[in-house]
Amino acid sequence: MDLEDDTTVLTTLKSFNSFISRSDQPQRPSDQSTGTGHLQSQYKRSMELLEAADRVKSKNRYLQLDQEKKQMELSHKRARFELEKAASESARGLAHEVDRNQELLQRIKKLEERETEAAKNLAEQVEANRTLRKNMGGLNKKLEERDSALNTANQNISSLKDEIRELKQKIQSKDSAISAQTLENQELQEQLDLQRRKYQEVSQLCQSLQSMQSSCSEHVIKIKELETRLALQEQDIAIVKTVKSEVAKVPDLEKELKRLRDDNAFLRENRENCSLLKEEVEGLRKKLERMEKTKEELVNMELEKEKLQGWENLGQYTGLNIRKPEDLSREVIQIQQREIALKEQNYTLNSRVRSVERSQSELRTEVSQQRSKTLEEQKKREAQDALVRRLQKRVLLLTKERDGMRAILESYDSELAPTEYSPQLSKRLREAEDILQKTQNHNAEMEVCAQAHFIFCVSQVELEIEALKKQQASAADSSSLATKEEVSLLRQKIEDLEAERQRLEEQNNVLEMRLERHNLQGDFDPLKTRVLHLKMNPTSVAKQERQQEVDALREEVTNLRELMRSLQDGGGLVSSQDDSSLHRSSLDLRKQMESSELRNQRLKEVFQKKIQEFRTVCYVLTGYQMDITTENQYRLTSVYAEHMDDSLLFKKGSNGSMQLMETEFSKTLGEMVALHLHHQKSIPAFLSAVTLDLFSRQTTI
Amino acid sequence: MSSTLKGITLKGSAELVAEFFSFGINSILYQRGIYPPETFTRVTHYDMSLQLTTDPKLKNYLTNVVSQLKEWLFECTVQKLVLVITCLETNEVLERWQFDIECDKSAKESSAPREKSIKTIQDEIRSVIRQITATVTFLPLLEVPCAFDLLVYTDKDLVVPEKWEESGPQIINQSEEVRLRSFTTSIHKVNSMVAYKRTDSV
Repeated sequence: MDLEDDTTVLTTLKSFNSFISRSDQPQRPSDQSTGTGHLQSQYKRSMELLEAADRVKSKNRYLQLDQEKKQMELSHKRARFELEKAASESARGLAHEVDRNQELLQRIKKLEERETEAAKNLAEQVEANRTLRKNMGGLNKKLEERDSALNTANQNISSLKDEIRELKQKIQSKDSAISAQTLENQELQEQLDLQRRKYQEVSQLCQSLQSMQSSCSEHVIKIKELETRLALQEQDIAIVKTVKSEVAKVPDLEKELKRLRDDNAFLRENRENCSLLKEEVEGLRKKLERMEKTKEELVNMELEKEKLQGWENLGQYTGLNIRKPEDLSREVIQIQQREIALKEQNYTLNSRVRSVERSQSELRTEVSQQRSKTLEEQKKREAQDALVRRLQKRVLLLTKERDGMRAILESYDSELAPTEYSPQLSKRLREAEDILQKTQNHNAEMEVCAQAHFIFCVSQVELEIEALKKQQASAADSSSLATKEEVSLLRQKIEDLEAERQRLEEQNNVLEMRLERHNLQGDFDPLKTRVLHLKMNPTSVAKQERQQEVDALREEVTNLRELMRSLQDGGGLVSSQDDSSLHRSSLDLRKQMESSELRNQRLKEVFQKKIQEFRTVCYVLTGYQMDITTENQYRLTSVYAEHMDDSLLFKKGSNGSMQLMETEFSKTLGEMVALHLHHQKSIPAFLSAVTLDLFSRQTTI
Repeated sequence: MSSTLKGITLKGSAELVAEFFSFGINSILYQRGIYPPETFTRVTHYDMSLQLTTDPKLKNYLTNVVSQLKEWLFECTVQKLVLVITCLETNEVLERWQFDIECDKSAKESSAPREKSIKTIQDEIRSVIRQITATVTFLPLLEVPCAFDLLVYTDKDLVVPEKWEESGPQIINQSEEVRLRSFTTSIHKVNSMVAYKRTDSV
């Protein structure tokens, strides 16, 4: 509808525009021709047209707008409708969605619950998983262990199988070896048999050999004996030969003997001659010696003679009173002594010179010191002179001042009237003058003193120098007598001291020896050393033990003595009141003895009883009373014996068998003896026969 | 021990001397028969075989004395060690083995070790112990039961330890003395001598 409206609007517009343009075109050519009238009408027309057009336009527009509005409204309605539709639809959708939402929420909740459950399950499962894993781990370990065990077992099995195989092999080898060994054994046995046979043969041979050997050895012994005999004989032969040779030598020896004897006699004669000759020789030798000595003495004497001549000449030469060498020696000694004295003098003089030189040097140093002192004094004096001059100048100045002041004062006095000032001033003047004078006097005195002091010092130094010079001069003139005495004294002292020193040295040696000895023996200086030992030392321990032993022994001895005494006195009673253990032991022993004796007695009684019982029972049962008369002899008396001495005697032989001895009763039983003992060889039968026989006799009688 | 170090220190010297005394005393006890020979066992030291006692009491006593002696040697306050053998019956001193110790006091703990080889010292000690064994030939026989004691001569100003007490010098009456060899570690010098009672005067 809109489009139609539009097209109508557009068509109307178009028609209008075309109208306007038609109207315009005819108007234009008319514009030029007509005048303004046309124009106004045209204009009015145009204006009206325009206004009509405008009205049409506005109407069109209004229609358009109405259409638009309607369209708009339609559209609006449509839109609204659609909107409502959409709204309802959306509401529906919303509700739907809400329902869905709720459903979804419920689902979500369910799902969440499921999730939590699932989570719990998960956790449980995880824990179960962990535990399972652990178990698994454990199981794995066990499995591994088992595997390893299995492996080891397998290895063991394999190894054992190997071993078994090896052992089987070994067994087989050993079986084979055994079989081989058995075969060898058999062979060896056969060989053994062979060998045994051979051995027998050989033993026989050996025996024969031994017999041969014994015979051989006997022969050998014989041979040895013969050889020894041979050797002895040969020795004898040799001896005989030597003896023969010696014997052959005998005549020669006899000849020699004769010769020797002759020689001997000759030599003896000669010996005497020799001895004589020797004595002569000795005498001659002694003479010779004496002669030589005399020669020497001669020579010495000649020498001495020469010496003496020399001495005599000396005496003539020297001009001194010398006749003997003693004089010369005396002279020499004197000269030596003089020399010594002079030497001593010389030494002393040298020492004195040295000392004097030392003193001189000291004095020189003193002189120099004194000179320096004088110089100083001079300087001081000069300084003081300078001072004095200065002071004099000052004095001059002061006097000038005073003159000036005086002049001034006089002028003042002359100017001024005599007032009260003048006496004071004059007084003051006078005082000042007095003071000045005093100072001047003092100055002068000081100068005088200084000079005098200086002069005095100088004079002193000069005196000292003179004295030193005098000393130096006089040092050389000192006498030597005092020194000689001093020297001799000193010498004596030295000798004494040396002697003492030697003595002390000897003493020292002796003391040192003694000290050494003492040190070896173990002496010590109590001030410096101390001797220590452990309190528990072996010697003290040993001594203690020894002492204890000794005490114990003494105690034992005393106890034993008392025991002895008590035993000797009391016999067996123990009444001592000592608490010695010996008495107790003796008591115990006695008690033991008594108890043993009692026991013995009881045993004896019991034995006797039993024996008696047994004997009576034997007597009753067997019918014989058996008594032992002597060693190995038994006497049997029957119950039914007719006489008291009817008895059978049995003796036990060396081999243990019983033999019946002859008695009067046994003679009567000869038959039974023969039957039972000889034939049957049974003693119980014999005895029972005898009993029956006697019993029968008894009963019948 | 100073055997692995070069030179001898005061401590090492004290140990050497104490060791010598330990072995020396054992030797003397064995040689003179103070204890029965079956209570001794043979050991090797100083390159020779020596006898050591196995009696526990005696061992204990010797270790006490030797350890104390080691201390005193370290302080250089010991002058002599004397082994005195007395007869038990008459309480007379029969023999006296005396070891003089001269200590060089300038070798204090801080000074440098002295140059003397362990071997020379051991040789010297060996010769001393051999000489001790040899002296048995001229010493008179000890026929009576005897006991021995160890005396130590120390400086007077020393503090007496707990178990020790003062004793006399136990000098032999009318003795013969023989001086034996000595050895030195360059810090300690040990002179040995033996004095025994003259047999004609017994």
